[in-house]
Formats: sequence, structure tokens, C-alpha cells
Amino acid sequence: MKTFRPIPGALVLALVFSLVTAGTTAAADKTVLKMVVWDAANTAYLQPLIQAYQEKHPQVSVSIIDIPPNEYQDKLSIMLSGGEDADIISVKDIPGYAGMVNRKQLEPLMPLIKRDKVNLDAYSGVTNDITVNNELFALPFRSDIWILYYNKDLFDKAGVAYPTNDLTWDQYATMAQKVSSGFGTDRVYGSHYHTWRSTVELPTVQDGKHPIITTDYGFMKPYYDMVVKMQNDKTVMDFASLKVGNIHYSGVFYNNQVAMLPMGSWFISTVIAKHKTGEATMNWGIVKYPHPVGVKAGTTAGTITSMAVNKASKQKDAAWDFVKFFCGPEGAKILASVGNLPAIRDKDVMKILADRPGFPTDANSREALNTTTVRLELPMHEKVGIIERILNEEHELIMTGSVTVDQGLAEMTRRVKEALGQK
Amino acid sequence: MGQLRLNRRPGAILGKTLVYLFLILVAAGMILPFLWMVSASLKLEKDVFRYPFEWWPKVPIWKNYTEIWTKVPFLTFTFNTAKLTLIITVLQLFTSSFAAYAFAKLDFRGKNLLFLGYVSTIAIPWQVYMVPQFIMMRHLGLSDTHLALILLQAFSAFGVFLMRQFYVSVPDELVQAARVDGMNEYGIWAKIMVPLSKPPMATLTIFTFVFVWNDFMGPLIYINTQDLKTIQLGLRMFISQYSAEYALIMAASLVSLIPVFVVFFSLQRFFVEGVASTGIKN
Amino acid sequence: MRNRHLLKNDLIAYSFLLPNFLGFLIFTLVPIGFSFVLALMEWDGANEIKFVGWDNFLALPGDETFRISLVNTLYYVVGVVPLTLVCSLGLAVLLNGKLRGRNVFRSILFFPYVASLVAVAVIWNMIFHPTMGPVNFLLYSLGVQKLPGWSASVDWAMPTVILASIWKGTGYFMIIYLAALQGVPKYLYEAAEIDGANAWKKFRKITVPMLTPATFFVVMMLTINSFKVFDLIYVMTGGGPGRATNVLVYAIYNAAFIQFQFGYSSAIAIVLFVIVLAVTLVQFRMERKWVSYV
Repeated sequence: MKTFRPIPGALVLALVFSLVTAGTTAAADKTVLKMVVWDAANTAYLQPLIQAYQEKHPQVSVSIIDIPPNEYQDKLSIMLSGGEDADIISVKDIPGYAGMVNRKQLEPLMPLIKRDKVNLDAYSGVTNDITVNNELFALPFRSDIWILYYNKDLFDKAGVAYPTNDLTWDQYATMAQKVSSGFGTDRVYGSHYHTWRSTVELPTVQDGKHPIITTDYGFMKPYYDMVVKMQNDKTVMDFASLKVGNIHYSGVFYNNQVAMLPMGSWFISTVIAKHKTGEATMNWGIVKYPHPVGVKAGTTAGTITSMAVNKASKQKDAAWDFVKFFCGPEGAKILASVGNLPAIRDKDVMKILADRPGFPTDANSREALNTTTVRLELPMHEKVGIIERILNEEHELIMTGSVTVDQGLAEMTRRVKEALGQK
Repeated sequence: MGQLRLNRRPGAILGKTLVYLFLILVAAGMILPFLWMVSASLKLEKDVFRYPFEWWPKVPIWKNYTEIWTKVPFLTFTFNTAKLTLIITVLQLFTSSFAAYAFAKLDFRGKNLLFLGYVSTIAIPWQVYMVPQFIMMRHLGLSDTHLALILLQAFSAFGVFLMRQFYVSVPDELVQAARVDGMNEYGIWAKIMVPLSKPPMATLTIFTFVFVWNDFMGPLIYINTQDLKTIQLGLRMFISQYSAEYALIMAASLVSLIPVFVVFFSLQRFFVEGVASTGIKN
Repeated sequence: MRNRHLLKNDLIAYSFLLPNFLGFLIFTLVPIGFSFVLALMEWDGANEIKFVGWDNFLALPGDETFRISLVNTLYYVVGVVPLTLVCSLGLAVLLNGKLRGRNVFRSILFFPYVASLVAVAVIWNMIFHPTMGPVNFLLYSLGVQKLPGWSASVDWAMPTVILASIWKGTGYFMIIYLAALQGVPKYLYEAAEIDGANAWKKFRKITVPMLTPATFFVVMMLTINSFKVFDLIYVMTGGGPGRATNVLVYAIYNAAFIQFQFGYSSAIAIVLFVIVLAVTLVQFRMERKWVSYV
């Protein structure tokens, strides 16, 4: 009679094997800095920056811990809870920053900044937005801004003049309607709103009169009304279809289905790359983000990506030196050379960006990346995580038509007030 | 009914046809995700979610299937996943069936309470205890190792629960008879329970295999080193901060599903009637 | 004399339990225990742990999102458990008989369980697409005026997710039933046939009672899995629109990873645990009454 029995010997061997192949760290005769990053494979500036630094500092080597971007903050939080001593931490977004600051997991940098006389003005004021009680816990290295992409071919076909670097939102809306055409699956949409709430809500903070964390959201009404009307007029694709169909803004842009696209500057590199592989063939350009009446052109919203030093790091000075390089002018040039927008944007950097092969050659596009004021998409705030969640949920309800704009904004107001009133 | 006994009466032929029709309909519905995965894997990324939807792309992009091996170290990931899956499955089978025998056929103090406790812990979502668990494992020096995942997943209440339910339906008389014949409990387990439990063993193998093979959260939390990563972590490398390459993800997913189906097919023979006969003819 | 015999039996039994239990105790039970204790504490995952007594539990009824997620979860459980049970049992019975292509059918039905969640969500959303999907197309041609928005509508999102879950889970539980059906002795059916029983009677009087241990397992696992649901909903609707499909594990995840309130998160988990424990107890009592041993 056959019996089903695990072979003990193989079992033991397997266990021993796995123990032996468990990760081990090599003995270090030089300083090894551990850096936590996301999406290393797709981050073009990472290796060049590390190499440049290592060439200058041959006794230092940088090793990376790579985490999938969508799970970055969760895994990082767990690692830090477990006492992770990686030296350098990439800060992906403001909620992540706020969380780590609240939990006292980042090294305060002001003393080091003052000691090494780091010039914070080079960051165009962005560092003010992440300063907490006069203390700074990260240095920005990348700053993406919101701009307007457009498809020149579709504008030509519709006989409408291209967008300019000085558009108001009303002019933009009219333009979008004019350039829309067609029916059903052949329809060309004047513009496109990706499902993130930021696409609709960012214009509301451009005038600087209302922060996105506040106790009355009525000020968002004109912009929600505008977008809901565009949805109803079929000037833009409807939110529900985008969400349900998992439609990404890149696809509709490459497929010549949308004429304009408000989106972040990170998309520039991708469009250039897709043109290189031949997947995208349209003539395209960029202009500055449209602005409310009375607000200067060149005012836009942006996000920053920063670098911090882990409080639990055992090599803080070495880590700080690397952070200074990464976030400083030399790092900025390397970032620009691979098409990313650095946080330090002087003339040299801007020229490198605009001179990139594949970058649209018209004058407007070259000018588009020059900004006057950049407002952070999401400001630093203790409760920013919860509030962002509330805003996302209500945004969904408004955009799917489940509630009216007024109802949705009233709910936002009520829930955020409640969240702020809590402990 | 344990078996459809349809003979050749005309009413029966109609019945049989209806059953086949029904099954084909259900199967057609179930196979749709598979067909979509194949379709998506052969497209350019921008066309994966495009409307109108094309089931078979005009120009199939076969190179997606070669790209997945070069873009990420997919072979390493596959090897790691296979190693983890094998070890955990074997350990699970052994320890679960061992414990299940006690719960099903032995009487001891605290049996019901302990069993209840076992089953109810399954109710707790891992999100609840994953942080304390990680902190503990890290203190034991097991962070960033395969051993951590093995220890966490090889000893599950689920396996014990499953096997116990099957063991319960093995007739007590068989066990009693063996005891009367002087066999000790370990012998009974090895010579009677185990051979009779091929269907549940096969079931547990399939479930554990699929679970570990497709496990994402475990490797995400515990593995940092690239060389130790698994297939699911590899798939995530096709997702960047602002977009995802679903065509490649689907291609890689399909390739990674091949071993799963091999296992499923090869264990099918244990789900055939007659292999585990339990009839006692008086 | 009798006591010594009992003790020996106990020891033998414990020795069977030991390999599994030891690993389980150290690596799973201890962290779970710690999490339970955390419910009485306040902890952000990094700094000191503060004792706060019952505060976390007292805050629960006032938490609107918690109330919504509890109701949604119950809705989901009630929808998924009975329907999946019926479907998986029915299909197992059908596919246990002599049917041509039986193995092929079984494999296809197994597929949604192993398929990428993304693929499942995509297919489901395609079929139930509010403007371009075949389901609404069919409803429209049947004269339905107000077409449901399915996963993009507050009212229909949960039913959509429930249906997807049933579809996905049927294959998994079908396997359990298939395995269990192998243990039903043929002679029972033969005897029943001699007595003139038809297929339905055989099913009711032989198959169902003989499958009670398997049914207990299936109901338990279905219930537990439904209370713990997270991934499928996350991929299909992200918990929305709004909070229409926000379930308990979302609340737990939110509390732990967005608000960094691990104590509160544990409190929610304990509520979930208590509910499931209650269901388990009821089931367990019923099992001892029903389970037939041949």
C-alpha cells in the first residue's frame, strides 16, 4: 500500500538551503549607505546620480532598497516600525512626509543646513511648504508642476488656434468645446480629466486664497461646475467610464482621442519615449497651466519629491552629505539631463530640459516650464492623510453624478470639519 | 446525488444536453478573464484598455513575452517562488494532517476549545497583526529572508481545519479496529488516515500552492533584497509611479500561471471517484 | 489507573498537535495576542505605547466610516455566502458524474480563483460597464429605462462586487466539495436506488447529510473570507464610489496605515473577530448535531 509521506531528508536539506541563502550583507571596508527608493528600474536619474556621487567620494558606496511605488509608504512605515536603519529615505508625497514627521522618524535637518550653509532660496520657496515649526525634515530634489499638454494635429484638424501660455480657465473651457468633434468611439474630446481629484481641484488653490485643507469647500464650486458641465457636454470623457474601464490618460493622449490634457510635467519624458518607440506619432506641445482671472500666468500647482535622513541611521553625516549632493545644483543638472524637473530650476537647468531631443521645439513649449508661483498640491498638515481620503471619496461621488456638486462640497466641509475637530 | 446517472431515455438525453449547455455557459463566463489576459498580453500598452475593445489584436505583440524575461530578473523570481512554494506546501501538508488527526479521532482535554480557538484565528485579517509580527521577526533577525516567510506560512490553522473536516468523515470503526489490532496512533495516522486522505491532501496542496505562488503581501513586507524577490514582486516592477504596463504584467502573469495549472491538472486524479473508497460492506 | 491512561492519551494527542501548534503559536498567535492587547492602547507604530483602556471601543459607534463599513460588510457577507455555497455545491455535483470533458470544465471553473485580480476586475467591469457593457445593452433592449451604473453607482456597486466575488469563489469551494464527494460511499446510492429514490431524493437524503463536514468548512471559510474581504474590492472599486463599498478591513487598514492609530485599528479588528466567533460558535454547535458519521 502506497503511503504519502514527506521525505524527511529532503525537508531538512530544503530548510538548511534556505537558511544558507538567506540574505547576508558583505563585510564593509568602505562606507555603505542604504537608500530606500521606489520603482528603481524606471527612475532614469537614480543610477547616474549615484555613480556621479561615488566617483567624487570613492570611499562611499550606495546600495538601494527598491519598493513598488503603490505600496511604498506602507512598506516603508512597516520597515521603520521594525527599526529599519537604512540611511537615506526618499519621501514620495506629503502624506508620507507628514506621517513620518509625526512619528518622529526623520532627522531634523535645519542644524545641518545652517552648519553647511545650504542655500534654501534655490528651491523657489518650496521648502517653506514642508517646514514644520521652523524645522525641516527633508530636502526637495524633484518638483513636478502641472502644465497643459495638447495635440497639435487635432487642433489643426478642427481649425482652432493652439493654446497659449496665458490662458484663463474660461478660455480653456471654450477652446475645449470648440475642438471637440465626432460621435461614439470616434469622438475627439476637447480635454481630459484623469480620475485623480487633483485634476479638478488644483485650479481651486491657484489664487492662493484658500488652502486645500480648510473648513469650507464652497470655493471649489465654480471649478467643479465647469468640469461637470464639460462631462455632460461630452467635452471630456466621463469619470465613471474612466474608472470602470481603468483608462489611463497616456493611452487616450497617444490614441488621438483627446486634444488637451492638464497633467504633471513627469509625463513629458514618457511622451518623448513613446515617440521614440513609434507608439505615439502625434505632434504635440505644452503650455503653462491655465489660470483664474486675475492670477498671473505661470502660477501653477506642483508636487515635490524629497530626500530625508533616517533618524535611526547610524551614519547620519555620510547620509546628509549624499542628500546634499542629490538635492543640490549638481544633482539638479543630472535630473534635468534625463528629462525630470528638478526642484532647483535655474537657467542652466531649464536650458538642458528644453534642449532635450524629442522635446517640442516651438517657443511656447520652451517657455511653458517657467513658473512664477508653484503651490503645493497637498500642503503639509498633521491630518493630511485622513483629509485626502475624505476629499477623494467625495470627489468620486460628485464626478459619478451620485451627488450634486453642492451636496458633495457640503459633505466635504462637514467631514473635514469633523476630522479636524477630532484629537 | 453523488453521481449523475443518466441513461438513454429521451427525457434523459434532453436533461443531459441541458446540463452540458449550462456548463458550457458557465465555463464561458469563467474563462473570460483568461481570454482577456491573453488578449492584453499581446497588445501595445496604450491599446490594452482602449475602447472599442479588440479581442484579438490586429498586430499581436509577441515580443512582450520575451521582454518580461529581460526587463526584470523573472527567472530568479520564478526560482525563488518555486522554492518557497515547495517548502511551505510540504510542511503544511505534514503538520496539518498530523494535527488534524488529533482533532478528528483522538479525545483529549481541551480539544473543542483549542479547535475553536484555531478556527477563530483565521477570522483575523493579517493587516491587524502584520506590524507586530514583522517587528517580532525582525528582532529574531529574520527580516529579509526566505526563512521568515516559511515560518510564517507553514503552520496555518487553515490547513488543520481543512484536514480535520475530512478526517471526521473517515469511519471511526476503521480506527477502532486498528487500535484493537494493537496499532499505535502514529501508525494509524501513517497507514490508515494518510492513504485515505488523498483528496483532501490534494486539495490542501492546490490551495497552499496557489496561495504561496500568488502571495504578494508576505514577500512585500519581508523581502528587500532584489535576489530574494518573488514573482508577484516582480510583476509590481512593471508598475511605475504614474502608470502600469498591463500588457507585460498580463504576459508575465500568464507565464507564471503555467505551473499552477500543471499542479492542478496532475492532482485531478485524486478527485476521481473510487480512489478513496470508504465503504464497509457488512 | 484510569487517570494515568487518560494522561497518556492526552500526551499522545498533544504530540500530534505539536509541530503545527508550535510554529503557529510563536509566529502567528503571539503577534495576534499582542494586537489584541493593543486595542486597549494608543500606538502610532513608532513611539511609546500608551494605555487608554476602553477609549478605542467607545469611539467606534461615533465613527461614521466605521458604521458604514460594518453595514457594508454585513451586506456583502449575506450576499456572498449562501449564493457561493449553492453554486459551488451544485457545480461540484454536476462535475462529479461521468461527463465528457469533466476535467476541462473543472479547470476552467477553477480559473477565476487563480486569475489575476486585475483581470477579474477588468472583465467584470467590462461586462457591467454602465454605457458600453453587454449587460446594460441587454437591459436597454428589454426596455429598462433607468440603467444601473453598476460599479460606478452608489446603489449598485456592492451588488456588482458581490456578484464578482461569487463568480470568483465558486471554483475554489467547488474543489472542496469535489474532494468531499469522493468520500460518499457508493453503496448508499445503490441502496437508495433499489428503494426507488430519484435523483433529487438521493441528493437530499444522502449527499447533503454526508457532506455536512465539508459544508461546515465551506460556510465557515466563506463567512470568514467575506468578513476579511479587501483585495477584490480594492481593485474593483477602491472602496467607492465614495464609501459605498468600504468594508471593515478598509477601516482597519486606514486606521493603521493612514492615521497611524494601531490601537484603534485593533479595536475594529476585535469587533470583526467577535462577530465571526459568534458565527463560528453557532456553526460548531450545529455541526455536532448534524454531522453524520458513517
